[in-house]
Amino acid sequence: MRLTKSLPNFMMLTPFMLLFGAFFLYPILSGFGYSFFDWDGIHEPAFVGLKNYEMILNARSSRIAATNLLTYVMITVPLGVSVAFGLALLVDHFQGFWARFFRSVYFVPVVMPLFLAATIWRWIYAPNFGVLNLILGWFGFENVRFLTDPDVMLYSLIGVDVWVSAGFNMVILLAGLKDIPRHYYEAARLDGANKLQEIRYVTLPMIRPVMIFVVTYSFISALQVFDIPWLLTGSSFLDYGGRRDALLFPVMDMMGRGFGRLGFGQAAAYGFLLTLVIVAITATIFAFQRKKENG
Amino acid sequence: MSIALLPRMSRITPWSVAKWTLAICIAIVAAFPIWWMFNVVFADPGQPVSLNPRLYPTSFSSGISNIQRVLTETGYLRAYYVSVAYTILTIAGVLLVSSMAAFEFALFDFPGKRILFAVVMLSLMVPMAATLIPTYLLVARLGWLNTMQGLVLPGLASAFGLFMLTQFMKSIPREMLEAARLDGASHFQLYWHVALPLSRTALVTLAILTFMKTWGNFIWPLVVSQKPEMFTVSQVVSLFNSPLSHTTVDVVMTANLLAAVPPLIFFLIFQRRIVEGIASTGSKG
Repeated sequence: MRLTKSLPNFMMLTPFMLLFGAFFLYPILSGFGYSFFDWDGIHEPAFVGLKNYEMILNARSSRIAATNLLTYVMITVPLGVSVAFGLALLVDHFQGFWARFFRSVYFVPVVMPLFLAATIWRWIYAPNFGVLNLILGWFGFENVRFLTDPDVMLYSLIGVDVWVSAGFNMVILLAGLKDIPRHYYEAARLDGANKLQEIRYVTLPMIRPVMIFVVTYSFISALQVFDIPWLLTGSSFLDYGGRRDALLFPVMDMMGRGFGRLGFGQAAAYGFLLTLVIVAITATIFAFQRKKENG
Repeated sequence: MSIALLPRMSRITPWSVAKWTLAICIAIVAAFPIWWMFNVVFADPGQPVSLNPRLYPTSFSSGISNIQRVLTETGYLRAYYVSVAYTILTIAGVLLVSSMAAFEFALFDFPGKRILFAVVMLSLMVPMAATLIPTYLLVARLGWLNTMQGLVLPGLASAFGLFMLTQFMKSIPREMLEAARLDGASHFQLYWHVALPLSRTALVTLAILTFMKTWGNFIWPLVVSQKPEMFTVSQVVSLFNSPLSHTTVDVVMTANLLAAVPPLIFFLIFQRRIVEGIASTGSKG
């Protein structure tokens, strides 16, 4: 009886739920299933148990990818969020036209798709034509091989990354700054706080929820990094990761195993492992936040 | 800067000098790559970089001929059609499908409502890496590789869109729905004539964010469109930039510039909406 009454409700929900089931729930479940099979996408899949997981955990390439990812995340997340926070504070110290002007200019890189950020910076980093090496040359520096020197490549990637994402986080943090009541600052000043103490004791505690969102979001996107390193290294499914695999990351490795070597079972297992890691990290951040709030 | 703005920055202190210097330097770093891309396209190709480092545009006509060359001699125009269709269909689909569902979640009660909503929201935590390979395999099995539906349909059930619109539609007064129902409006008419017009702001924001995401999507077209006639702009741009393409830098940059034009125009028109839309994701998340 209640169900017939709700029929119009369910009819309106049907398109979303059908698409959600077909292109989210089903892939998740079937992907978990595929991860126990050896399958090239053409022949009959063969059940192999946990062999895919074993192969991934023991492979040299996935260990390189994991190490790269760890270094990358450890640098790019704190750096990116700090830069964004600095930009937000800076813009917050301007009023009216100039506040809007600087906010817009700092935001412009965000509207560039990631693939374009990579293909533009590829040329800025280029050894001969590249404008960055040209500028370094004016100051008497030697040519830096930004995209082929394995010791530098990771930092080149982080540079593009911060360039393209700082404005995004800045805008979110700026909204958080605007929500802090002005009298908190006045009270702090009356107590004799200087600028740094104001940031430490008023700004940071007040924007904590927004900051946690920004950090979590940055973590999740950094762990799945793909477009920019793929294009900076001119990768293809058969040859990816750049010189000495300096820019090899897990999602790239997953794509290579799937489409380059036609190991879709392995790729599915890889995706599942990555998901576990990402969900675990997200859950840890949330749990940590809750504990701090209760304690 | 104009004279009218000067009196406001009353005193010149070391702190204000530092502030302005820093702000301007960062603005240059932020804008320079895009400015430089533009200059490379509109540069006199005869001048070597050492003499003309492309810090400003030098030749309007060679820029125009670069654009003409890329549009006529390569598959770029074709890719543009594909990308535009992919983007428009995705925006229309996301708006329709998620607003219909949000209408129900925000304004009505029905059995299973809470669990359904919770399941969809949980999916926000699941990374794209988890679904990419199995979704590709599903699309391949349906025979949808190299088709528009293969590009578009998997991206339509946007949990983010549903969340955003549900939050927004919760503020629609129930009395308005009641009044319309007493006037004889059907359930669908309540959605179409009452809820949708009242949600215009949220719909526009979602449309803009979906545009940026779809136009910039690289990884999904990369696996689904394998034939040149279904290539999107992102793929063509990556082909231009690939190590094997053997094209000169001005042509490659033209390809980049043409891909950057739609998002830049969008940004100029909808700047405030984009910034506010992104800012609000932080406070709601």
